[in-house]
Amino acid sequence: MQKLLLFIDRLSTLVGHTFSWLIIGLTVLISWEVFSRYVFDNPHAWAFDAMIMLYGTLFMMAGAYTLSVNGHVRGDVLYGFFSPRVQASLDLTLYILFFIPGVVALVWAGYYYAADSWRINEHSNVTAEGPPIYPFKTVIPFAGAILLLQGIVEITRCIICIKQGYWPSRQADVEEVDVDKLKEMVHVTDEDIQKLDAVVVQEQRT
Amino acid sequence: MRIRRELWFGFSLMAIIISVIVIFMPWGNLTNGHLGLLMLALIVVGIMLGFPTAFTLMGMGVFFAWLAYRSVNPDLAVAQVLDLFVQRSYGVMSNDVLIAVPLFVFMGYLVERAALIDRLFRALHLATARVPGSLAVATIVTCAIFATATGIVGAVVTLMGLLAFPAMLKAGYNIKVSAGCVTAGGCLGILIPPSVLLIVYGATAGVSVVQLYAGAFFPGFMLAGLYLGYVIVLAKWKPALMPPLRPEERSVPLSSAMQRLTEYGKHAVAGSLRALRSDSSAVPKRTAFAQFFISLLPLLTIAALLALTYDVATKRAVEVSTAGLELSTGSDGTDSSSQGGGLQEPPADSGGLQEPPAESRGLQESPGEKTQTQGVGAAAGELKETTPELPKPAPAIDQAPTAKTDAVPSTAQAAGRLPTPNWFWITLAICVVVLAIVYALWTWDRLQVFKMLLTSFFPLAILILLVLGSIVFGFATPTEAAAVGAFGGFVLAVVYRSTEHWRAVPQGQPKSQAVGSTLKELGRILKESSFLTAKTSAMVCWLFVGSAIFSAAFALLGGQELVEKWVLSLDMTPLQFMILAQFIIFILGWPLEWTEIIVIFMPIFIPLLPHFNIDPLFFGLLVALNLQTAFLSPPVAMAAFYLKGVAPPHVTLNQIFAGMMPFMAIQVIALVLLYTFPGIGLWLPQVLYK
Repeated sequence: MQKLLLFIDRLSTLVGHTFSWLIIGLTVLISWEVFSRYVFDNPHAWAFDAMIMLYGTLFMMAGAYTLSVNGHVRGDVLYGFFSPRVQASLDLTLYILFFIPGVVALVWAGYYYAADSWRINEHSNVTAEGPPIYPFKTVIPFAGAILLLQGIVEITRCIICIKQGYWPSRQADVEEVDVDKLKEMVHVTDEDIQKLDAVVVQEQRT
Repeated sequence: MRIRRELWFGFSLMAIIISVIVIFMPWGNLTNGHLGLLMLALIVVGIMLGFPTAFTLMGMGVFFAWLAYRSVNPDLAVAQVLDLFVQRSYGVMSNDVLIAVPLFVFMGYLVERAALIDRLFRALHLATARVPGSLAVATIVTCAIFATATGIVGAVVTLMGLLAFPAMLKAGYNIKVSAGCVTAGGCLGILIPPSVLLIVYGATAGVSVVQLYAGAFFPGFMLAGLYLGYVIVLAKWKPALMPPLRPEERSVPLSSAMQRLTEYGKHAVAGSLRALRSDSSAVPKRTAFAQFFISLLPLLTIAALLALTYDVATKRAVEVSTAGLELSTGSDGTDSSSQGGGLQEPPADSGGLQEPPAESRGLQESPGEKTQTQGVGAAAGELKETTPELPKPAPAIDQAPTAKTDAVPSTAQAAGRLPTPNWFWITLAICVVVLAIVYALWTWDRLQVFKMLLTSFFPLAILILLVLGSIVFGFATPTEAAAVGAFGGFVLAVVYRSTEHWRAVPQGQPKSQAVGSTLKELGRILKESSFLTAKTSAMVCWLFVGSAIFSAAFALLGGQELVEKWVLSLDMTPLQFMILAQFIIFILGWPLEWTEIIVIFMPIFIPLLPHFNIDPLFFGLLVALNLQTAFLSPPVAMAAFYLKGVAPPHVTLNQIFAGMMPFMAIQVIALVLLYTFPGIGLWLPQVLYK
């Protein structure tokens, strides 16, 4: 079971990581466009559509990945102080109540939305002769489907947690505030902090 | 016991909301509007339960939208909800404001990973050594600059907790004051543009991000300035809290070459000149010249900036100028100098005239043309130096290569100049005085500090100013500026990482090792930054996907009308409304994060603003300032927990909270100041865009 969970985790992560690279593409594309406009006086009509598509695809496809590493923002007033069992039961209820209907609606509606777009061979109307837009709309059902899959994994996690009383492990991933890495970056060791503690104790005495 | 208290806080908040619903809902005859309000109350409860907010919004939005449609036509309800949902989601995917979010976030991660914060802090620490409370001042300035460039509160507070906090404690600073500086300073990036919060507000409220950036500029610096003022006054008033630095903490490390140079005199400019002239080979000529050149940099930069200002101030708007035409004004310069030997202005004037060519080219070709502006700077510098002494700058001008172009267009060009405004001369005078003072005090120690700032403070400051300047002055959209900023962040990472690796290669080993290790690290930096960017933007943008359907449902149910009717029935003055709104946002800042507050609650406040004649731009600035407090207010003050994570074990959370309190008070003062003097925020957008 745990293996299957981790496999789907890895799938979401792989998709998320793959589409993460789009940010570099986006940066280079826009920088080049700015350069081209000012230096060569040669702006491109398709650049705007391309930017939007890169951005939209980037964040939509990263949704499941973000869920798999527990990266979606949560209200943390109470949650953090509950025991894992209470957390898991709450999550389980709300996954079924909010997540499943919402995301199923997204996949379902996204499918027909994209299908319509394919049928009429829709092109962007931002500029004349805009690029085709149906591949971009197809992103919606795909992103929703992976998200749904990841949601089912999370639900299973909740059930496991309710059974065993602690959260099953997640895979490691790069973190925004990775204290160890930051310590290394500024060359501070734990010993330094320990030594500093003596200073603190001394000051608190006086 | 603490944990209990936290739970009580949350539970009582929830209990209050639920009891309010139960008591005030007209349960007998529920209208759709009441359902809307119910939905709003439920979302607060739902968020506090700790489920990912994006999906809470999505689920509730879909359900309530379905209820709303069902009340009109039950048969079509499902299809209509699905249509609405997917169209709203697609709206977020193709939102041309939110597109700047991933780019700014990416820039932030790249700058953070360039790892220049310790250089920055060390340089600022030495630069401010004589100011009272110098370490606290250096901490706040470092935070302001670094937080502005990165915008990641957690990383900035953690890094400063590792760097500045120990330094302050070792120097005998009070624990509370030190903790307050680190946490409050780390949050400045939320407000000072380019900040993601302002983009998110702009996208929600439909306010131009450009104007928000221009507007938030001064309030942001005002807040930082208030922090600094508070710290300095406190250090003067109670020196026991922040004792002055010991001499060994103040001494500036000089390289051996520079130590030898000090033998040529205390003053750096004179000393390096003397070293250049002297015959002894104690100091290589190149080193001496390098010091001399670096010493001149402030002069050159200010001269270049003045020349640019002059050009902009006296240029006719319609003028289409080409480089060749303008260069030819050199011949005109000869005229003016021959006319007015006694007058001081004309020579300088002609000097100004000579400069435009390269400048206007710089303007046309725009950002990134550093070399060119530097060249101009040098030219301008020479001129500025020569003009006071020699009444005839003509020779220098004649050297201009294209000066031979015929004189007809040149006179037309000269006539095309506007008269020089008075403020320009005032600025010029101030600059001259400041430069004179700076150069009078230009010792070797100060030169060394300047060099340290040059490699840490200025690159970041220039990056920020370029990004902001190009947005505010309309050279680029926020999206484009963000992309170029991200590119600049990458360049910073390349430069700093490669110098570090270059230096790390042990003596005698081939330096080529450094290339491999640098490339490897850069690859890692790019990879990590991209992944983090994807996560953060997915977090923010999925929240928008959820709130898109949620706010649509709220509007469909007519909740908005009900709120409006209720607020208008209270018959408040604009001031009362403003205080109420800010108070609600302040309270919401305790349990919720700023993303949630803006994305969910701004759509409710914004439509009310026209009733009270409040500019949404101004409201946004107040909200941004207000939400600063959300990071510092216990019990969910993230900044405090980040600091606690790296502080020595004996520093308690309560001490950190206590340290943050005065800074929270300053934020409230700043809020009041901004409300009383709206010009602080609105002046710049009005000057630029009205």
